[in-house]
Amino acid sequence: MNEYLCHDFKTPRTDTSRRLPSSFRAIPVIFYVALVGSSYVMTMDYFNYKRALKQKTEAQERKKLSEEQRDAFNNEKASLESEATKAESVAQWMEGARNIQPIAVKIARAVQPETRITQVTLERSEQVPANLALTIHLNGSQVPNELATIESALGQLLYRSYSAQQTKNGDVVEYHSTLVRQSE
Amino acid sequence: MLLDEIKSVLSFAAFKADPDDSAVPWGKRYEGRKSLLINVSRGSVSWRSVNKRGRFEEGGVQEGELADSAPQRADEWRGMVEGGWCSVSVNHRFIISLENNLMRGHNCVGLLRTNPRAVLGPKYDRGKRYAICHHPETTASLLLAVEESLVKVTEDVLKTVNLKPGRVCCGLFAMLEHAILSIFRASSGGTPTDFVLIAACEGSLGVLVQQEGQWKDIRCRSGLGPEAVETALQIISPLLAKVPQGSPVYFIGDGHDNKFRTELMLHLEKVGATDLTQDDLLWSIIGEH
Repeated sequence: MNEYLCHDFKTPRTDTSRRLPSSFRAIPVIFYVALVGSSYVMTMDYFNYKRALKQKTEAQERKKLSEEQRDAFNNEKASLESEATKAESVAQWMEGARNIQPIAVKIARAVQPETRITQVTLERSEQVPANLALTIHLNGSQVPNELATIESALGQLLYRSYSAQQTKNGDVVEYHSTLVRQSE
Repeated sequence: MLLDEIKSVLSFAAFKADPDDSAVPWGKRYEGRKSLLINVSRGSVSWRSVNKRGRFEEGGVQEGELADSAPQRADEWRGMVEGGWCSVSVNHRFIISLENNLMRGHNCVGLLRTNPRAVLGPKYDRGKRYAICHHPETTASLLLAVEESLVKVTEDVLKTVNLKPGRVCCGLFAMLEHAILSIFRASSGGTPTDFVLIAACEGSLGVLVQQEGQWKDIRCRSGLGPEAVETALQIISPLLAKVPQGSPVYFIGDGHDNKFRTELMLHLEKVGATDLTQDDLLWSIIGEH
């Protein structure tokens, strides 16, 4: 037998609607679960957002520091490269700049005693230190031969004369040429 | 309106039974809420309040008709309820009769309220409200018929004092139903073929006789005062004579004045009557079930 339920004969109301089925309780339950779930997700998102902002600030600070360090390194590198370039130029210049004393000795030994050298000038080219501008003032009777002897002697030092010019100014012959070092 | 409906769904109120949903027991309808139980007898009105925990609290009784008592007690009664809902037991101007082969089924109770002619057929009377209690094992049924005008007047009187009847029932008939169910539940080894069931409720008396497993007779009377023990015995005695000697006699009673019940039981003890009465039985039946 079923549980006793007391009878009722009151006047039925007409303004009532049917009660929702119990299975529909799932709707508010799902609503509240979704509410709690979304609140949890939003809260976690908020904290994650705050943490991400903090991490972003820290990363930006690290980036700024790194960029400063990079710039400092770049400047230092540029400075060093500049110095290296200069040093290389100097090294190249120094490499090209050979001693001129042997040339002077060769010229002096190549000239006969009768011929007098009044002036010898050796000027090194700033751009090409291996090239030398030679100017000799000679006074004597055998000057043309002496000049040939000088060029020959310089050839032993692997120098070759280019653009040789001779001008005679009275008894003095002015000889101008450019000595170019020949590669061995 | 739509917002209210959404709120009622989200607060689960939409899934709770309506306060006047007769398909749900009163205790379940008013779980966690205060309610008021009123019994209307001929010449007196008694009441009892039920607190939020479902326990009975203060009550009272007043001589006179409901129409006179209600305005006087309106403030007190309104303080005992939430939403103004109350359960009313009407204990007079009713007839209980024995019927056979009435419609049974799950929708029978609801149909009896909305379309009683479909259940009762030619037995239906336009000016009556009905309730049915079926014999658990046979085709017999107890049919309660209450004056519709009394029900309407009772509802109108309560409405004038801002109370809403969530249930209108007959206390005596409810006690008979409850007792029949208890007897058949208690006798799992086989129900007694012959017994007499006497129910007394606030000045109303009902006597049911079962012979050879069949309900044979029902007598009822309302408006009996506390001094009307002799009148009650005159109704009971012929019916007791119908059953074989030694057959069980059950008594169930409730009322504000215990004198009637005590004196009647003194006489019934001579025929070996069993008292099924419990404390606050009427209030328990209409306030819990």
